[in-house]
Amino acid sequence: MRLSEALEILKKTPPPDGPPLKVSLVCGFSPLHLKTFIGAHLQLLFPERQIEVQTGLYGDLAGTLEHLDRCPVDATAIVLEWPDLDPRLGIRRLGGWRPRDLPDIVQNVRAQNLRIQRTVDRLSARMSLAICLPTLPLPPVSFTPGWRASRFDVDLQESLAWLNESISQTNARVVNHQHISWLSPLRERFDVKSEILFGFPYKLPHAEIVAELLVRLIQNPVPKKGLITDLDDTLWAGIVGEVGVEGISWDLDHHSQMHGLYQQLLRALADQGVLIAVASKNDAELVDEAFGKADMILPANRIFPFDVHWSAKSESVSRILNTWNMGPESVVFVDDSPMDLAEVKAAHPDIDCLLFPKNDYQAAYELLVRLRDVFGKDRVSDEDAIRLDSIRRAHKSADAAQEFSALPDRFLREAKGRLTVSFAKASSDLRALELVNKTNQFNLNGKRQTEVSWRTYLSDPDVFLCVTAYEDKFGPLGRIAVLGGRVRVHTLLIDVWVMSCRAFSRRIEHSCLDHLFRKFAIEDVVFDFGITPRNGPIRGFLAEFSGSPPEPGFRLSRKVFLEHCPPLYHDIRESTDG
Amino acid sequence: MDDVHARLVKCFSNVFPSLSATEIPNSRMTSVEGWDSVAMVTLLAVIEEEFEIQFDPADLETMVSFDSVWTHVSKLNGYS
Repeated sequence: MRLSEALEILKKTPPPDGPPLKVSLVCGFSPLHLKTFIGAHLQLLFPERQIEVQTGLYGDLAGTLEHLDRCPVDATAIVLEWPDLDPRLGIRRLGGWRPRDLPDIVQNVRAQNLRIQRTVDRLSARMSLAICLPTLPLPPVSFTPGWRASRFDVDLQESLAWLNESISQTNARVVNHQHISWLSPLRERFDVKSEILFGFPYKLPHAEIVAELLVRLIQNPVPKKGLITDLDDTLWAGIVGEVGVEGISWDLDHHSQMHGLYQQLLRALADQGVLIAVASKNDAELVDEAFGKADMILPANRIFPFDVHWSAKSESVSRILNTWNMGPESVVFVDDSPMDLAEVKAAHPDIDCLLFPKNDYQAAYELLVRLRDVFGKDRVSDEDAIRLDSIRRAHKSADAAQEFSALPDRFLREAKGRLTVSFAKASSDLRALELVNKTNQFNLNGKRQTEVSWRTYLSDPDVFLCVTAYEDKFGPLGRIAVLGGRVRVHTLLIDVWVMSCRAFSRRIEHSCLDHLFRKFAIEDVVFDFGITPRNGPIRGFLAEFSGSPPEPGFRLSRKVFLEHCPPLYHDIRESTDG
Repeated sequence: MDDVHARLVKCFSNVFPSLSATEIPNSRMTSVEGWDSVAMVTLLAVIEEEFEIQFDPADLETMVSFDSVWTHVSKLNGYS
């Protein structure tokens, strides 16, 4: 993005009734074009919001940071540069570069890093922080030649590494320096003239890249959830139907290492909770035999389902999406055939279709980097580790339920479902927020939350939060439902209610409401209900009681609930952390 | 030359969106609301980016109107 393009974006007025998005930009230099680029990138990502980028005092980064408590903002971007750690590491001050000054500079940098770390630690508990550590080259301060690493350089980098490590223990997010270097070469970053004349040290392309990465950290995009892969010339080299199981490969010896790396990445993605499925035009028996090979890096038990036949790939994709109960926008499809990719894209326009470039090592490597990015997440949770197994079990239990179709109550009773309900409001536990932001179908109103708005909501002493985990004889599903609201006289006001689609058809939603009626001894529940394009399941649930489609402000009395509630078989326990 | 003039008007329009295309050629720092030091730095950066030129720092103080900026841009583009 060029500066003129950024200004054009900012000229376009967002909808006047769009909610504001306030971001504080904290940097020690004059924010100038960095502010413009951040505003433009935010506007592109949040076209409905009124973007407001606030800035602090020139030359006082640490002081501005310490005063952030008083600024009600949605997110904060912090951009550190060397002069913020010691002014002698910049070119606008003449404090001395003598050899005897160096130990004092190092000491000062350490002290300033400690001050910043303490402030970030405090702020990150209550607001969303995106941080970029120094990106500019050090000025020629040290007495060693520039090509030789000096004790001075090492000490400064060590202190910065300490700051980075300390920040990574908090909820703040730090821009990956390797990624910046990939996009913006070190020698193309520093604008000496602009720094001397205007106090703005970045060349425009570098400012744009720093802004884009900070905005990505602020946005923290929802990762994709599932990957559907082809087999021949994608997961392995060779066409198994032609060369046989012994003829396929994924190693250095057969010049097919990129396929091995692809399998290795998919194995890692599976272990972080990404669902992996196979869509292949192939002979199912041969595929079974291929996955029986001992050196397969992505084993068959990390894949579900396998959809192997000779008809169109789009049909496979449809079946897999149905099995996963997932929308195409959450899924990536990888294939070496441009025709198959086009056919799937035509049937599922929202799916991300990526070519496996089997004859181009560099392009194949870039595909791996891209996959890592689109599936990247902040942390791997307990739920991530059991997602695949729970979907596989759900499939089995759905089959079992079909067998019991005449007797659903018997099936549910024999499933021995256990609900563990927690009323703890730990704002640092982001699983609840993750569920609120990624659940579409059983979602009371579709309202999304930022980390800041979520923490603010939970900090209201009137608000209660109910997080429910489920397991039955088929295994655990983990924490699958979040319900938030406030208790009034004889009435419960529900603001937030989401439940993972993996937990459908078990009457968990009925048990949750039943538990709340009992726990709070209330007569009515009022729901902040709103229709969204995809929340049909919760609409259907509420309509069970009213007999008609629910309206905003839907009210359910205990009497009506009990009249219509089916038999419930869950063993409910409140966890002690609540 | 016409193309350079049009591109320069576009640069001004991006930095001063309230000015119409007909007002821009007559604009001066003293008469345009919002033409402060920050806007000046932004304008210079946009022009340097658009024309891939670098202004001489010594000239910056003389660039106080569309005409004066036009003169410098023309010179750096080899038109005068």
